[in-house]
Amino acid sequence: MKKLIATALFILGVYAAPAMAEVNAAQAQKFVEDVTNDGIENIINANVSQQEKDKRFATLFNNALDMKFIGQFVLGRYWRTATPEQRDAFIKAYREMNIKTWSKRFDEFKGRNFKFIGTTPSNSANQIFVNSEVPMPEGQPAKVVWRVKKTGDTFKIVDIIIENVSLAITARNEYSAYIKKSPNGVDDLIKDLQQKVADKPAKAA
Amino acid sequence: MNLIRRLMSGVVLALAINIGSAYANTDNHDVYADDDSVLESYNRAMFSFNNYFNHYVFMPTAQAYRDITTPFVRKRVSNIFDNLQEPVSSGNYLLQAEPKGALISLSRFVINSTLGLLGMFDVAEGWGLSQKTIGFDDTFAKWCIPDGPYIVLPLLGPSTPRSAISMGLNFVFDPVYWGTVNDANIHDKATYSLAIAYGVVVMEQNMDLLKDLERSSVDYYAAMKATYMQNRKNKGCFKNDSSANDYDFDFGIEE
Repeated sequence: MKKLIATALFILGVYAAPAMAEVNAAQAQKFVEDVTNDGIENIINANVSQQEKDKRFATLFNNALDMKFIGQFVLGRYWRTATPEQRDAFIKAYREMNIKTWSKRFDEFKGRNFKFIGTTPSNSANQIFVNSEVPMPEGQPAKVVWRVKKTGDTFKIVDIIIENVSLAITARNEYSAYIKKSPNGVDDLIKDLQQKVADKPAKAA
Repeated sequence: MNLIRRLMSGVVLALAINIGSAYANTDNHDVYADDDSVLESYNRAMFSFNNYFNHYVFMPTAQAYRDITTPFVRKRVSNIFDNLQEPVSSGNYLLQAEPKGALISLSRFVINSTLGLLGMFDVAEGWGLSQKTIGFDDTFAKWCIPDGPYIVLPLLGPSTPRSAISMGLNFVFDPVYWGTVNDANIHDKATYSLAIAYGVVVMEQNMDLLKDLERSSVDYYAAMKATYMQNRKNKGCFKNDSSANDYDFDFGIEE
């Protein structure tokens, strides 16, 4: 009996080990702090034209987020059946859509500071959650969690969770619902995203 | 022997979960995809009706309200509505066996209704009496009553059975509702106009976000549903403060 339990524990231990791959919590938090500080100091508070702000935001966004990684998850099972051209076009459109949406919203963070409140481990290897709070004009502060992935020596953000709402899960649900309904699947999605980026009204799905 | 059996069933269960998650991996985190197509077609139809109604009636009204008021005035108005929720909040703290919270809510209601001029000013907060306003949904979540499926209600929008029932209970325990219940003459008028006014106030606070979400999505219905359902997940007995379980999904990407 004892042996059985010992074996079970051993198996559990081995099983759990790879999931516990170490990501240095302090380093990960420092990375996110740097990204948000960069955004606040060099974009929101900077005295430059909106065009220059948008440009800087795009650079920050591209450096800080691993959009290819996120895009793969967001497309889910449709990623596997997509051609390399479709994959590239999707990542590009998805990236531009996000930059466009977020550079507009970014100014809302003016005068607010992220308060970092520690990290939470992830079950995925080389990933960690960095927890933060943003004061809101009304009521309690909003909880913003940054999912960070470490590859070699570089950190990248792979998801942002605002008040328990994961942007990656939301996009994945939205896009798979959209693809299911569309006659041309992923191609329609890419076209619609491109139209959104270009500010043209999308065709009704 | 008994222990071994229990251990075995534990292993079987663990295997089942593993197989389950392996299976889910092919399709994981499409968790909010409707499996009930009847419900989904009703929801989508109602959602698009609500969306028309919002764009042609609700949002213009909220915009007019915004145009004729200042932020200071709007803050006073939303404070009045918040204050009206304090009795419900107090009762729900009691239902959750938190007499101190119940007392704070009740004190806030009494102080702010009088000295705070019908709730326009939060005097009690300045006295250190400050806490979250709660409703029946918080209590039901604490009692581990599950949320149920996503349902789009006429005019009221995204909801679930638990949320809808809670909303109804919050409404009938509102002081304006029970305060006028004996006077049929003004009861309907008072409660309906209050509900509509409250709707306009809430819409004014949220319409920018709603428009943003609609603009940035290719399937507004699916985006709203996923956002709403995730936001509701982490409540009461379903809350998981110590870990990131809710959103710690497996990215499932081979590198």
